Amino acid sequence: MNKLFPTQEIGSLAKPVWRVKGYRGEILSKEEIAEAVNWGQRLGIENLEELVKILTKGARTPADKKALIQWSAKFAIRFFEVAGLDVVFDGEQWRSEMYEHVIRNVEGFKFLGYVKSFDYRYFNKAACIDAPKYIRPFYVEEFAFTKENTKKIVKVPFTGPYTLVDWTFNEYYEKKASSQIRDFKRRKTAARREFIFDLIKEIARPEIDKLVKAGARWIQIDEPAATANPSEEEMQLFVEAFNETVKGFNCTFSLHNCYSNYEVLAKYASQLRNCSQLALEFANRDSKQTGIGKTRAGYKELKIFEDNGFRGKYGLGVIDVHTDFIEPPELVRDRILHVVNITGDPSRIYVSTDCGLRTRTWEISFAKLKNMVLGAELARKRLT
Amino acid sequence: MIGCYVTGILPRPSKLIETTRAYDRKKVNEEELERALKEAIIEVIEAQVSAGLTYITDGMLKWQDLLRPFTENLKGVKVGALARWFSNNTFYRKPIVLGEFQREKDIALEMTYTEYLPSNLPWKAVLPAPYTFAKLSENNFYKSETELLFKYAEILREEIKTLAERGFKYIQLSEPALVYNPFKEPISKDTLVDIKNTLETAVKGVKARVCLQTFFGDFAQILPDALDFPVDDLGIDLYETSLEKLKEYAFDDKGVALGLVDARNSLVENERELTTVAEELIESIYPSKICEVFICPNCDLEFLPWERAKEKMKIISNVTKRLESGLS
Repeated sequence: MNKLFPTQEIGSLAKPVWRVKGYRGEILSKEEIAEAVNWGQRLGIENLEELVKILTKGARTPADKKALIQWSAKFAIRFFEVAGLDVVFDGEQWRSEMYEHVIRNVEGFKFLGYVKSFDYRYFNKAACIDAPKYIRPFYVEEFAFTKENTKKIVKVPFTGPYTLVDWTFNEYYEKKASSQIRDFKRRKTAARREFIFDLIKEIARPEIDKLVKAGARWIQIDEPAATANPSEEEMQLFVEAFNETVKGFNCTFSLHNCYSNYEVLAKYASQLRNCSQLALEFANRDSKQTGIGKTRAGYKELKIFEDNGFRGKYGLGVIDVHTDFIEPPELVRDRILHVVNITGDPSRIYVSTDCGLRTRTWEISFAKLKNMVLGAELARKRLT
Repeated sequence: MIGCYVTGILPRPSKLIETTRAYDRKKVNEEELERALKEAIIEVIEAQVSAGLTYITDGMLKWQDLLRPFTENLKGVKVGALARWFSNNTFYRKPIVLGEFQREKDIALEMTYTEYLPSNLPWKAVLPAPYTFAKLSENNFYKSETELLFKYAEILREEIKTLAERGFKYIQLSEPALVYNPFKEPISKDTLVDIKNTLETAVKGVKARVCLQTFFGDFAQILPDALDFPVDDLGIDLYETSLEKLKEYAFDDKGVALGLVDARNSLVENERELTTVAEELIESIYPSKICEVFICPNCDLEFLPWERAKEKMKIISNVTKRLESGLS
């Protein structure tokens, strides 16, 4: 991209109440329908009466539900466009959740129920009980829809295979290995490796292939679990898995990883092949004071990536997705300029949110994104 | 001579999960949550009894993480941000140490539902071991990690004493941080001596059987030093430990808790295979005379959905029976 400091959001956007309840077939209140109309008008979306017609229905057909997904995707795409972002997608409105969406669309897995994440939060965990098998595309339709509905650059967020394996009970491969390997630890390691590379070959690559054939030019591999096990063997496995996933495709790939051990990731980042960009979270660790300064608390780890020889682009997190604090444009500007001083090359910076804005309201998300865009503009002015 | 038990926090049964989620969304109140918690605790206690476990715990269903009762109730400690629980997709809140530790109540006991524990079977309690508590805390007060370690050990002694007086016959000290070592850094002799000394402080004069339960890492790396630790039993995660190396040592009069069932995978193990592995191990580490042996999961069963954890408890019990009768 020729423009300096292109702007992007990183993950999912909250699903509007009308999308969630509407999809479940629940009756919507007047206020909830009015919210859809208000946002629709603010975003300049046409034919809203058709949406209202579906939302006011007592019973909704499968076709209505599908239409609701498309409506919310259209809203999200327009949301990013109106906020002024250069790179857009659909805020993952088609997906139930980054893990479940994939697992529910492939064979070989079975959900076993909820396990603890922390406190009173849980996640629905699946077991791999048979060799993973591709049965239908799971991102292609949403990508085609997004492409049809925008003229901007489109990015496809893609849940990475390493994370899928890390979040799944590995029954099938451990059972398979049990007759050959007696030592439990070695058995587990071998079974994990086989699971990952099977998943890449059978699921991830076929889906990427279909996306690329459908015209995808940029896929963002999401790997929140990348450094969950920071040992040398596991990090090498992660690198190998990423490289194998993206190998040979005529497409740009980036990696998103957040709330992880960046000291560890930094050591391996330069070994990622065909990874044009690392989208990383920094804003949440940073001070809210403006100033370019020698140090900014939140961005000190970026230097470790530089020192370890990473020379790709940064999806630079300048917006904290876990607070309602609206970052002023001047703060965004200074975070960008501070990092320009570290890298010495402004063209390596894509201005981004730390992660997806899923936990914020649309109102807050919109204000944050608008200021992010304004901040990028201020930084551009400073450099030209 | 061969017993069995669970080694930590049990998964919440699905009804309790539903209630806690509803509580989080402010759909149910504190009382309803407490009622659901009690029902679930009765359920998990009954499941342990009917599986035939030797020692019974209350399942620790109220514990948000191993350290939390201390993080929240020990004076001098503040609840910090979420951090990853070792290599798991599970998170705990970091204890931030800001002042002198002061124990103002019976921390673990108040979190435990002793009223539902059976009167005819011995009880087991689980506490965070000193090194793990120190390692996972952020120390903003004590001069060194060692000082923190010893101060916490003193608190721990009071806790263990209280539990023993209340009738607990078995105390497990959970010590994952000692063996979780992803960067394969050498564990210094000084650290091992410190740990031995803190354990001495913590368990001196205690009238209960005490186990130092290690998990998430290779137990063999702290051998032979661990054999000198002043505890009755040593707990080993057999899914992270090199079995060959383990077999090189004689445990003599030290008991073992063999983490033979994998709490981090839902795959239901083959009882015969587990029995053979245990038998070979017991033969190697007790060349002359067998000491106390316990069969258990490799770590807290909380990583599994409750139904699967229940199946694994039966496996533990069945393997124990097979070992007792010499069946493999």
